[in-house]
Amino acid sequence: MTPTLPGWLRWSWLPPGAFLLVFLVYPLAVLAVTVTSDSGGGVISTLASPTLWQVTGLAAGQAAASTVVALLVGLPLANVVSRYRFRGRAFAQALVTVPFVLPTVVVALALRSLLGDGVPQGLVLVVMAHAYVNLAVVARIVGAQWAQHSGDYESVARTLGASRWRAFVDVTLPSLRPAIAASAAVVFVFSFTSLGIVLLLGDPTTRTLESQILRQTSVLLDFPGAAATALVQLVIVSTVLLLGAAASRRSATRRSRPPALRPLPSSVSGRAAVRITAVIGALIVLAPVAALVASSLRSSRGWALSWWTSLGSVDAGTTRLSPPSEAITTSLTYAALTALIAAGVGGLAAIASLTSGRSRIIAVLALIPLGVSAATLGLGTLLAFGRPPMDLRATGLLIPLAHALVAVPLVIAVVAPSLRSTDTRMSAVAATLGARPTRAFWTTYGPVLRIVMVAAAALAGAVSLGEFGAATFLGRAAAPTVPVQIVRLLGRPGEQSLGVAAVLAVVLVVMTLLLVMLVDRWATPLRRTTAQENPA
Amino acid sequence: MTPSRLDLQALALGYEGRAFMRGIDLRVDASEIVAILGPSGSGKSTLLSAIAGVVPPLDGRILIDGRDVTRAPIHERDVGLIFQEPLLFPHLDVASNIAYGLRRHGQTRKAALLRATELLEWLGLGGYERRRVDELSGGQAQRVALARALAPRPAVLCLDEPFSALDADLRQRLAVEVSAMLRESGVAAIHVTHDPTEARTVADRVIELSALGEAL
Amino acid sequence: MRRRTSPVITANIAVLASALLLAGCASSGTDGSDAVEPAASEPQTVQLLAHDSFVVSDDLITALKEDTGITLEIISGSDAGTMVAGAVLAAGNPTGDVMFGVDNTLLSRALEADVFEPYESPELTSVVPALRTDTAEGRVTPIDFGDVCINIHDASFTDIDAPSTLDDLIDPTYRDMLVVEDPGTSSPGLAFLLATIARYGDGWTDYWAALRDNGVKVAASWTDAYFGEFSGGGEGTRPIVVSYATSPPAEIVYAEEPKPEAPSSSVMADGCYRQVEYAGVLAGARNPEGARVVIDWLLSEGVQSDVPMSMFVFPAREGIALPAVFTDFVPTIDSPLQLPPDDVAAGIAGWLAEWGAVMGR
Repeated sequence: MTPTLPGWLRWSWLPPGAFLLVFLVYPLAVLAVTVTSDSGGGVISTLASPTLWQVTGLAAGQAAASTVVALLVGLPLANVVSRYRFRGRAFAQALVTVPFVLPTVVVALALRSLLGDGVPQGLVLVVMAHAYVNLAVVARIVGAQWAQHSGDYESVARTLGASRWRAFVDVTLPSLRPAIAASAAVVFVFSFTSLGIVLLLGDPTTRTLESQILRQTSVLLDFPGAAATALVQLVIVSTVLLLGAAASRRSATRRSRPPALRPLPSSVSGRAAVRITAVIGALIVLAPVAALVASSLRSSRGWALSWWTSLGSVDAGTTRLSPPSEAITTSLTYAALTALIAAGVGGLAAIASLTSGRSRIIAVLALIPLGVSAATLGLGTLLAFGRPPMDLRATGLLIPLAHALVAVPLVIAVVAPSLRSTDTRMSAVAATLGARPTRAFWTTYGPVLRIVMVAAAALAGAVSLGEFGAATFLGRAAAPTVPVQIVRLLGRPGEQSLGVAAVLAVVLVVMTLLLVMLVDRWATPLRRTTAQENPA
Repeated sequence: MTPSRLDLQALALGYEGRAFMRGIDLRVDASEIVAILGPSGSGKSTLLSAIAGVVPPLDGRILIDGRDVTRAPIHERDVGLIFQEPLLFPHLDVASNIAYGLRRHGQTRKAALLRATELLEWLGLGGYERRRVDELSGGQAQRVALARALAPRPAVLCLDEPFSALDADLRQRLAVEVSAMLRESGVAAIHVTHDPTEARTVADRVIELSALGEAL
Repeated sequence: MRRRTSPVITANIAVLASALLLAGCASSGTDGSDAVEPAASEPQTVQLLAHDSFVVSDDLITALKEDTGITLEIISGSDAGTMVAGAVLAAGNPTGDVMFGVDNTLLSRALEADVFEPYESPELTSVVPALRTDTAEGRVTPIDFGDVCINIHDASFTDIDAPSTLDDLIDPTYRDMLVVEDPGTSSPGLAFLLATIARYGDGWTDYWAALRDNGVKVAASWTDAYFGEFSGGGEGTRPIVVSYATSPPAEIVYAEEPKPEAPSSSVMADGCYRQVEYAGVLAGARNPEGARVVIDWLLSEGVQSDVPMSMFVFPAREGIALPAVFTDFVPTIDSPLQLPPDDVAAGIAGWLAEWGAVMGR
């Protein structure tokens, strides 16, 4: 910490701390008290049951496999999309994010219709789906670091006699290790806590603790059992995330060169490699999306626009109160609110992580929502904020708040590294020129903050657009979000249900694409700004 | 007559497929240091990249010890490369950095580390073997980079503004030191710089880039 | 010293403050109703908890407001199981005034936790005789019923006869043709399991072993089974699926214009499991008076006539004219299978475990 940081920075952990306390800790505490007050013994007996640990082992194996596959596919994509300049790059980068926000039921149906019976339900299919959904996590997190990595290191290694592959293993991989560790931790956590994909594409060997929790809550109403399972999940996920955070902390210290896109390799084979990777990546992402577009335009009578035109009709939706198109407005409103809340909370947490000591802990604590079972948090929030003395449902804020809990860790992941790699000498310079600490802080971090905060807010918005779990627990009948409307449509017969669901899924993809491209547009000036600040 | 260590014949250089210089002819002999002078952005770095194999030339031939390496992959050329920044591998210690090229050339780990220790003594950096590379000063790091490049005994060494990140005093001292080491090692060196004083201090021959070929 | 507050902080505080303020308003609005009994004409709100399949036409909600002054706030989102789980946890201090959609598989668990307070609706007298006394000692009111039945894709049975009984499904003629839902994750899947237990008693595990040996496919959800595996619903290849008795009429209603004249699949009348959906006043409701009015409204002719086309279930009220797609394409289910709610509550955990063991899941 430089001595010129303003004093109020020491307190910037307070608002995010309060947010976590009120909307994460309090609901979980209410739930824990309710559940254990009359049946604490059930928690112990579940913890002692072999089934719990058997499922834990299976889920950990599945998550590890999903992580490895996501890395194997995601790393080449990260390389191509974040380092090279080519036409359509911005679109490709946005495209990678799409699977991440698609509702799992849509991903599952699309994969099933694409692969047919070629890949039977089970571990392989689940791992493929997890890798598909989490491509963006790898491509984005590793890509951001790869973009900053100078290719000259590899040139040096190669002049010393290393083959292309050898140079990659010896030089590139070690320098990417923090980002790989960070993204691997996140992918592992997402796969380990997965619910929809596991239910839709899995078999008995792919059960997760989350699917156990859902069964214990909604079918067996075995709350102590669910609490015990949720506890185990929380402990495992927190451990993995802490390990990931520890590994990635060692990143962001070195910024060898400002990130700059480079031209395609000049050798024919190099160019071809980049292009082929980009095309294969686009195909992987696009194939399910293309299948969706096709089903949105096709009925039993051939190609037609009827599903699209029925978007505004009340009868086409599932509420009979509003047309499906209204779900789009609902989703956009929630996304905007989520962006606001998550950017505020996550931004402050990231700023807090600049200072030394305890206030940095908040950035780590903010990761915890990733590991809390959705069913658990949903029920806890319902008990805490769904009845007097505090009924937040009518405010319409409950869903954005729940979405923000999920989005805050990602906001921190985007903002904190940029702040940490900002040249702090600037604030010393500003101070010598007479700027008071607060002014010096804004001179130093203001330009970066303005840009990354927009990027982070848009990412939070994208998370909100695709979120399904919380919206089902806390939703209101008349105002389903797009994913909720899609799932409800897919819960009733008829080709109109399938068709309109496909239309809404396509709309969701387009909204996400636009949002992510907006992020990338805003993040581009960042590259230029840092290039000016740190001339090579 | 024995062939020159490095022989460039009618080389054409370009960027994204467009040539900006062609007809480059240059021969450098063993233990000879040639300095190439030119303003920044004139294509000096591209010339070195072409020799090292990082970018292929648009036309012409590159011969090393009489062998045509124009299309050879980087790691089979016998060319060393030194940049303005030392670019030491951050995850390896000082000795392992120097040993890296020896290991790639088939030496055992033990032999490579032994050789690294000798080279560090030679550079006046004895005892630095286990140091982390980010603990080195700018001058020390650049010397380690030089040792790393020379360790596998390349035929040709390309130095791309190797001292420009250092302060004037150190630059002068290191220039003298390095040129002595290069001559001792027998390598054919091409040293690219925009600083005429540095060029004259280091090199046996100083050539303006514009005199090498036809700029387009 | 001139201090500048971060705009981020300001925005953040504003959000938190408004959240808490709004919370205060919302709660004070409903709190008052405990002390003062609301007159029917006074504007008041009733919160109706419902599962995500609850649908009612807008004009009926408007009519409720015009007739009674009640503004109905429908709170739904989760499936019935999760909704009941939430109600059980919140028993005594509920998250709404009245709950709709607890069915006969979940009822016992809700009753055990004293989720409901007794109410006998005057409209109960118009309910079909079979359901009139089905009220768990006056604590819940039956609103609608439906049957989970085997659906058959007709086009696949031109050369051979379609199966007509549960016993037929283990016949090698129908090998690899049936897809069912996992009872642990799907409501119709559970209903079908209960149907086999009601039919075969202790022999149900043998029946499932025979189904397994005859190539039954287990899907995780209805969506997956119907759209993914069933040849009559989407891209699937299996011509027999566990679905609802009303799926064929729904196929017509949710088809493209011009609607087909007949559905492509039909219902097997044997082996259907009857699901009854109940409503009840939640114990500790802020507006119990209004909650009772809403239960009467749910049994009113208007809502009961709306039920078939909104939710594709049968009205509990007698003498409601059914739409043509129901009378034409849903067979009369004479003797649906059912298990007593208490038996279900007591047995379900063990049955699911046994089923998992038989099916290798």
